[in-house]
Amino acid sequence: MTARHRPAVYAAGLTVRAGKTVLLGPTDFIAGTGDWINVIGPNGAGKSTLLRAIAGLTSHTGRLDVHGVCLATLDLRARSRLIGFVAQHPAMPAGMTVAQYVLLGRAPHIGPFGSESAHDLERLDGALDQLALASLAERRVDTLSGGERQRVSLARALAQEPAVLLLDEPTAALDVGHQQDVLELIDDLRRRLGLTVVSTMHDLTLAAQYGDHLVLLADGRIVAEGPPIQVLTGPQIQRYYGAHVDVIDHRGHPVVVPVRTPHTDPPERPGHLEPEGDRRATT
Amino acid sequence: MPRRTRTAIISLTMLTFTLPACGSDRSGADDTASAPGNAAGESSAAPVVNVSESNPAPVIDTDAPVPATGFPVTVTAGNGDVTIESRPERIVVLSASLTEMVFAVGAGDQVIAVDTYSDFPAGLPVTELSGFRPNVEAIGALDPDLVLVSRDVDGIAATLGTVGIQALVLPSATDLDDVYGQIDTVGAATGHTDEAAALVAQMRSAIDDQFARLDGATLPGRFFYEMSDDYKTLTSDTFVGSILAATGMVNIADGVDPAAGPYPQLSAEYVLRADPGHLFVAHTDGSLPTVDDLAARPGWSALQALTHGQVTFLDPDIASRWGPRVVELVTAIVDGLIGGS
Amino acid sequence: MTDRAHPTRLPPLAITAGAAVTLAAVVIATAFGAVGISPGQAVAVLVDALPGIELQHDASPTVAAIITEVRLPRVLLAAAVGAVLATAGGAYQATFHNPLADPYLLGVASGAGLGVTFAISDTGSSLGATGPVITAAAFAGALVAVALAYSLGRAAGGRSGASLILAGVAVAALFAALQTLLLQRDDEAIRDVYAWLLGRFNTASWDELALLAPFAAVTLSVLVGSSRRLDVLALGDDEAQSLGVHPARLRLLVVVTATLATAAAVAVSGLIAFVGIVVPHAIRLRTGPSYRRILPLCVFGGATFLCLADLGARTLLAPAEIPIGVLTAIVGAPFFLLLLRTSRVAMS
Repeated sequence: MTARHRPAVYAAGLTVRAGKTVLLGPTDFIAGTGDWINVIGPNGAGKSTLLRAIAGLTSHTGRLDVHGVCLATLDLRARSRLIGFVAQHPAMPAGMTVAQYVLLGRAPHIGPFGSESAHDLERLDGALDQLALASLAERRVDTLSGGERQRVSLARALAQEPAVLLLDEPTAALDVGHQQDVLELIDDLRRRLGLTVVSTMHDLTLAAQYGDHLVLLADGRIVAEGPPIQVLTGPQIQRYYGAHVDVIDHRGHPVVVPVRTPHTDPPERPGHLEPEGDRRATT
Repeated sequence: MPRRTRTAIISLTMLTFTLPACGSDRSGADDTASAPGNAAGESSAAPVVNVSESNPAPVIDTDAPVPATGFPVTVTAGNGDVTIESRPERIVVLSASLTEMVFAVGAGDQVIAVDTYSDFPAGLPVTELSGFRPNVEAIGALDPDLVLVSRDVDGIAATLGTVGIQALVLPSATDLDDVYGQIDTVGAATGHTDEAAALVAQMRSAIDDQFARLDGATLPGRFFYEMSDDYKTLTSDTFVGSILAATGMVNIADGVDPAAGPYPQLSAEYVLRADPGHLFVAHTDGSLPTVDDLAARPGWSALQALTHGQVTFLDPDIASRWGPRVVELVTAIVDGLIGGS
Repeated sequence: MTDRAHPTRLPPLAITAGAAVTLAAVVIATAFGAVGISPGQAVAVLVDALPGIELQHDASPTVAAIITEVRLPRVLLAAAVGAVLATAGGAYQATFHNPLADPYLLGVASGAGLGVTFAISDTGSSLGATGPVITAAAFAGALVAVALAYSLGRAAGGRSGASLILAGVAVAALFAALQTLLLQRDDEAIRDVYAWLLGRFNTASWDELALLAPFAAVTLSVLVGSSRRLDVLALGDDEAQSLGVHPARLRLLVVVTATLATAAAVAVSGLIAFVGIVVPHAIRLRTGPSYRRILPLCVFGGATFLCLADLGARTLLAPAEIPIGVLTAIVGAPFFLLLLRTSRVAMS
């Protein structure tokens, strides 16, 4: 485990309610500075809720500190200077250019009736460069491809200069190539800038490949956390996802392989596809 | 031209004309407005009292010397006390009723413009100005020295004041005394106090004569005064209503719907049940129904007013204005009451 | 050091051009009017009236007074009302993410109308209610309606924009019904209220301008100053909040300031439709969706538009006046359609 002297994110007894229903918690959650934590779990487990609670978008009870500062004592702008949040489906207003969009990320640093300074414009340039968006700066955001949009969202979050970056399903709706690109980018950025990243992922294999450790949420509680090898086990996934999988080791990372188990033995039919090679678990 | 110079010229001219006028016989010859360049309306021409053909022209004794100046004069109008320094020579009138008054007291040739709805007497300097939506700029561009209005729409009197133009607001009269009072006011304001007084006296006596005709006549107990096809009517709190009330008859609209104000709307059912003895018809929307039209209304043929021929159609212009032609209104009403049955 | 131009802010040239166009409109509107006063005379009087400038002119005192006491305040009032309505409309479109939003969205119109109806019909005679009473009643009615809509919206659906809009619709319907009830029994009042509803500047005076000016100044400053945060709001409540912009508070600020100035504008000039929708849209078709650009230009665009519309209202059928609301609709609608056409062609 990474040493955590003063964790980037420290939550204790974090609880989110909707009326009488408890959506999340009480949970304790810790992310060390510079860590990348992937939150996984079945649909409705509360992954997005956890993220949104940390981002301050959902009211919650319990303690929540970022870099030792209790978030409840901060006003909205101070909080958004610490925490950057990229939603699952970020709004891309029609007609807005990439530069305009990324510049919005500077909002936490500008007073209510203030305007951007030269410094803010420099940060804009920096964010565009870091995500290789300089050539797209004048493009309208609603004309971009999925991968480009992800980069643009990230650029805006970077322009915020947060300490903690929260990403809700950063790879959703991306093809595998772009998924890898984005995740590599995030990893590169967090190492260079010392960011702490907490993201939710639905793809378990990717979640295992990127990031330092996993947090498995189910029914609003953390049921497992730790390095991927420890969290991603067949029985655990079976239990919480209700899925039949084999978890194999490939090049040092666990890979989750869905396994099809028929309810009744179907008669073998000609042309029926045989699994290629031996994909069965060997552990 | 500065007002003081104007006053001097007027006074001199008046003197010049009135001295020879003393003693000459001025019996009522009609006089339409003379050329606007004539600064003195007080010429040997007769003071203009416009009456319709049916009434004989009144005889006005003007052997008494006309005062050289009646100014400055302070009159009381709807917009408070207004002091008029000198005889106005460029009067703009924005009300049909007030136009009739102004011309009736002999100030016709002091008028440079009247509103688009003024149509009596004939030969008016009609413009497109409106008393309902007065346009300060258009009025001001005529450079008047007095503006007469019957409604202080949008604070027109005050706005004219800011531009240095005096205005008199003379709102619709609520009874005959109001009319007489306004005629006196108009007379004083235009420098025709005596003609105004004479006109008022003549109107009073004519109206008294008319009412006298009703003495001893058997009148229907109740009447209905109809202003539209959907039974819009007026109560005794209105000008016409007050005149009708003076006949002693009861207005079926009185007390029915106090919240609706002086111009309530009745229902067909109510009118039928009230079965008024006399109908007065004076539609304000321009429609001119006939007796057959009235009888064709459901249930109306049974009304006693229709079966006994007790229906009087009034000229809507005369019925909706207040001014010298009130005499005609009263005459028409009395004619309708006595002439009928 | 970056040499990148600011991606959203209006270049100073645009501001200067906007101001110049507005000034030209004011001068033109002052120069022309009812027959009888030549434009040259009018401009001469106008220049002479400026503090510190003396200019000989041949206008009679009455004519000069007409220019300085009647026409000039009217032109300036039209400009101020236009600026307020356009900017408030644009700000509402931003706040509620609704391109059909106009400054009357939360019930200002029906509230003012009801207040005016009360004042006019309650006194029994349409002449009984004096100008100041009607103005105050309109203002009060507008504020009551919006306060009611806001509290209903908050109570019903939390702080989202949609619930506010719905509450506004409900309040507007209720107040309009009450207004009809009051009017239905009083013919005289109907005419006066209707005339008021159509909007008019013919009662404009320096007093009315003095009444509107403080509201307009504060509101325009606040709304234009908030345009940066309104652009952030375009990302949706959640994302805006994550960027440090509190959506409900910003919404409240916009609603309060826009309502105050709109209520004041309505109180002095009646209901003038179309300005609040058409001007922001027309500007948006040229500048794009950023309110950093739209709102400042709304100030100039609204002022110019209404100034010139009022000029048309009082000259086209002189001496009769076309109700300003009618004229803005007649002019605004085809203009807007044309703009949509040309921009669609340009975009395709």
